[in-house]
Amino acid sequence: MSATPIVTDAALVAAVADGDAGALRELYERHGAWLHARLIRRCNDPEVVVEVVQDTFVTLWKDARRFRQEGEVGAWLWGIAFRRMVSRLRSRKDVVLIPEWDVPTAPQEVLPSAEELVLLGVEYGDLGAALRRLSPEFRSVVQAVVLDGLTTKEAGRLLGVRENTVKTRLHRAKAQLRTALTEPQEGWR
Amino acid sequence: MTTGTQGWHADPELLASYLAGDLDAITGASVEQHVSRCETCRTAVSHMLEPQLVERTWAGIRDAVERPPLPVPIRLARRLGLPEPTAVLLAAAASLRGAWLVGAFLSLSFATLAAYVSGGTALAPFLLVAPLAPVLGVAVAYGPRQDPLEALVATAPFGRTRLILLRTIAVLVSVLPVTALLGLALPGPRWLAAAWLGPALALVPVLLALAGFVGPRVAAAVVLLVWSSVVVASTRGGLDPAWPVEAAQQGVYLALAVAAGAVIAVRLGIDRQRGVAL
Repeated sequence: MSATPIVTDAALVAAVADGDAGALRELYERHGAWLHARLIRRCNDPEVVVEVVQDTFVTLWKDARRFRQEGEVGAWLWGIAFRRMVSRLRSRKDVVLIPEWDVPTAPQEVLPSAEELVLLGVEYGDLGAALRRLSPEFRSVVQAVVLDGLTTKEAGRLLGVRENTVKTRLHRAKAQLRTALTEPQEGWR
Repeated sequence: MTTGTQGWHADPELLASYLAGDLDAITGASVEQHVSRCETCRTAVSHMLEPQLVERTWAGIRDAVERPPLPVPIRLARRLGLPEPTAVLLAAAASLRGAWLVGAFLSLSFATLAAYVSGGTALAPFLLVAPLAPVLGVAVAYGPRQDPLEALVATAPFGRTRLILLRTIAVLVSVLPVTALLGLALPGPRWLAAAWLGPALALVPVLLALAGFVGPRVAAAVVLLVWSSVVVASTRGGLDPAWPVEAAQQGVYLALAVAAGAVIAVRLGIDRQRGVAL
């Protein structure tokens, strides 16, 4: 039963822009939890995560006007939250987690690989395996830019490399993924 | 082009292991990408997060949102690195309010205008006002009548001396740049533009030292009177309009400043325990 909300996120943001605290609460209920969950995977200090989520919604309260109506509210909030966290943690490298892509920590039987592929929106090739074959340098760049949506400049700051390095690595990583995904299916088209 | 990610939803088990951090990064990343775009799964995550955590975070957001914004001067002081309580105390000073600053600015402007129009012969108004603006600012920056927080300040474990000095500095910071800018518009030799600084910086410590004995109001009146008579007498006496700020006189101001500083220091030493020297 997906109770389709009558009010869209974008409408709520517009209400927040008009100073409606109830709309802010509603947005928090819709988006607070997953933001929290997603941030905690990137920072092992729960207090910092709580503060970043708070900051994000306070920023939303102040800057709701700046939201472009055609955009997606979730993605916008994530952009605010993750950038907040990166800037907050610049001085504390110890708590930033770059997820480790190699270790299958839990029993993986829970997850049929078909679902994995659906999740990624990929219908051919084994993207999971291809991603795992990337070198750690490439993975961190893919993580920061493709998955977390940072600009190459911000990613460079987060990872401690120059922006051009990020661009090069990203380019190569994409090329490597493309090859890995298309090669086995040669002639499939 | 896709087989439709719309119909698919992460099952509770998968979400639980995602929240527990048990998924490897690639699976976790794919769950994440889905959840951030899927309303149903987002709602599911909301139900799985600890309610206390959700409420605690919300409490912080609500507090920040409901708190009235701090006035501009306080935010400015905070930006400069002062702790908030100090900033609040500072901003409570009467002479740091907009009205006072505008008044100081206007009187200085008129004085500058007079000097400018007269081609440097009517320097007296500027020389009269420029050093007195910071002095009066400092005088009304503290004292029982001017300070809405006086009762609080008197009982708080916050050095009165420290507060007075802080406010003095704040007044100087707010008044001196304006005066300096206007001074640049003065006709005549270049050094005139900065010459008023000598008496200004001497009269402030004199005021503070006097205020320690007779209170800020009387001290301000005395300083005002003395400085006015110096300026007026020099004009009446047919001396050069710039006489009050010539080199020899600057030496006197320096000596005055040092003497006043010494008085303050001595009294501070005596009254250190009570912190009421000023």
